Amino acid sequence: MSLAAFGLAPIYVEWLLWGFAVTLLLSASACVAATLGGVLLCAARISPLAVLHVPARIYLGVFRNTPLLVQIFFWYFAGSAIFPTPLLDWFNNPHTVVLGFGGQTWLSFRLPSFEFWAGFTALTFYTTAFIAEEFRAGLRAVPAGQREGGLSLGLSPALVFFLVVVPQAARHAFAPLLGQYMNAVKNSSLTMAIGVAELSYASRQVETETFQTFEAFGIATVLYILAVAVIEGTGELVQRRREKKYGRGALS
Amino acid sequence: MKLGALVLLAAVFVGGAAHADRLDDIKKAGVLRVAAFDSNPPFGYVDEKSRQIVGLDVDYAKAFADKLGVKLELRPTNPANRIPLLTSGNVDLVLANFTITEERAKQVDFSVPYFSSGQQFLAKKGVLKSPDQLNSLRIGADKGTTNEIVLRRDFPGATIISYDDTPFAFTALRNGNVQAITQDGPKLVGLLANVPDKENYEIPEFTISNDYIGVGIPKGEKRLVEFVNETLTELETAGKAQAIYDAWFGPDTKTPLPRLFKIGDKQTN
Amino acid sequence: MNFDVVLNNLPYLLWGAWPQGPIGGAALTVWLSLLSGVASAVIGLVLGIWLYMSRGAVHSVLILFLGFFRAIPVLMLIFWTYFLLPVVLGFSVPELTTVVCALALIGGAYLAHSVAAGLRSVGGGQWEAGISLGLGRWRVLWLIVLPQSLRRMAPSFVNQWISLIKDTSLAYVIGVPELSFVATQVNNRAMVYPAEIFLFVAFVYFVICGVLDLVATAIAGEAEPEARTRSV
Repeated sequence: MSLAAFGLAPIYVEWLLWGFAVTLLLSASACVAATLGGVLLCAARISPLAVLHVPARIYLGVFRNTPLLVQIFFWYFAGSAIFPTPLLDWFNNPHTVVLGFGGQTWLSFRLPSFEFWAGFTALTFYTTAFIAEEFRAGLRAVPAGQREGGLSLGLSPALVFFLVVVPQAARHAFAPLLGQYMNAVKNSSLTMAIGVAELSYASRQVETETFQTFEAFGIATVLYILAVAVIEGTGELVQRRREKKYGRGALS
Repeated sequence: MKLGALVLLAAVFVGGAAHADRLDDIKKAGVLRVAAFDSNPPFGYVDEKSRQIVGLDVDYAKAFADKLGVKLELRPTNPANRIPLLTSGNVDLVLANFTITEERAKQVDFSVPYFSSGQQFLAKKGVLKSPDQLNSLRIGADKGTTNEIVLRRDFPGATIISYDDTPFAFTALRNGNVQAITQDGPKLVGLLANVPDKENYEIPEFTISNDYIGVGIPKGEKRLVEFVNETLTELETAGKAQAIYDAWFGPDTKTPLPRLFKIGDKQTN
Repeated sequence: MNFDVVLNNLPYLLWGAWPQGPIGGAALTVWLSLLSGVASAVIGLVLGIWLYMSRGAVHSVLILFLGFFRAIPVLMLIFWTYFLLPVVLGFSVPELTTVVCALALIGGAYLAHSVAAGLRSVGGGQWEAGISLGLGRWRVLWLIVLPQSLRRMAPSFVNQWISLIKDTSLAYVIGVPELSFVATQVNNRAMVYPAEIFLFVAFVYFVICGVLDLVATAIAGEAEPEARTRSV
């Protein structure tokens, strides 16, 4: 894409691309954290122990049934009351990380500030709830016969679970998981409400300075669709490879 | 396909759409649609008891509606939505502390100014003394304001974080996310007057720009501009502009400020 | 925690400026949800059936069309319809219509795929049986296949509606005085009670969505609980 896309001055296209980078960074890091969190939450939810599955049910109920926007406002506005003061101070003072060797700087970057962390926290907690449920659905999709087969081979229940059930469940959950990643990319747009300089925020800033509303929203929309399409394409690619490996119909 | 659709949309956009005279439309509909702030006392805010938007800007809007003999319909807006609301035809007028600038005047028309203010800062006591410090601070601004643009242009060293509205920026200041926030002086005075722990904050004396506030009007609505200007001048002559000012910034209010600017002092159009 | 701020503003949070002004708050959230819920169900059914019955170029165009609405963030679509569509159309679209249209299109696009998948899940034997009875393709669909698959689709519909209810909060960006918007107004005025205000707002959404969530689980019953199709 030429930097002067749609007749927008290069500097503004640059703003949008920076915003896109923040969108990708925010959603990617939230996806990684939420996937890990999702595994734990799913484990707690299917646990027979009430001390684990009751809190998990409450978490799922609360975080899935309230709007992300309200959750973002909550973390941001009430954040100062929730996060401990030293952590808050650390968030609020921009930190520069310098990676280098022998006095040479290889890489230096500024750590994101509080609004980014508030947005990250909100997006992660929210996405975790959905990913956990996708994992659970994946587990339930594994036919009972698979488990019985494993047990009849003399494997212990734990071994059956990890060697037989989980790998199949992971395959079932793969496509829905990517769906949640796409949602995370789109949902990251809501963090503009608390000043995270992501793509939607950048598009409004470009609009403020240039009044080229069509161009600003147009480029932002295309970039979002691009990001979502890349995730979707990756999914298709993986699916097709698997079909090649295992044959069609073996999985779905 | 999506790109094609965008190009198509843009083509129609350039083509423009014909419409009748807006002043006639307003009279015919019997409703004047005005965008005003909903969280910026005393310009426009939701009154806790009546649950209605009230304020200085709203009083002017009422005067326009009364003179036209139509009903006033208020739409809450944040700073960033003001121009899109006008260009998309969703409102007839914007009265929301709207600074007149050359760039904006290419998108929308403005009335003669009815208020004047300077861009100032609000910070915790003792933090901010002079403009030179701005280059090294994290400063909260409002999305879609001239404050944001001026700051970025004149103080390139400042880190600017933009929020949807001034109270959001103030929360960031309270939480320590930014070290100062910027807005028009009177708006900051109005904000500070309602802060529960106002003794911890201050508005340093200096201003970094002078702004004239006008009524935003859709582009090319000549008769509507004339009507608004006439009404504003009448309000000043009849002493009503002074009365509106005194109701919100007079000596007996929470936000006493001397009135240094009168309608007609400066003609921009 | 001091919930006085919530109590003092309770009428405003629940029904806005009504009756002196337009209805707002939680009441408007429910109203917006109802309108966009019905609209998304109609769009989802029509487009889903079309997706299932169409072949070739029409099918591909439909997939792309649905793909667009599944890929665009709700926020962006609301901006487009509210600020830019009027410029194209030459007349302004009221904000409530804007929000309902945007939510219905996005919800409908997701539902269309659920509907098509539900239709596909009905065995081919049902089709053959219908056709051997001398019924046309559309009559088989209407009389035999659709009724059987509707039950399977039901959880997707309810889950999509829960998403819609939560998405109505995004109407805040264009100043629609629904629950989230009036909450930010109250928060902006009170300034020092954000936790109380947003906890209360979350609670109201939780009650509305939680009831639907229970309905969804009940409908899913012994059948496999379907994961929520989409989330915001």
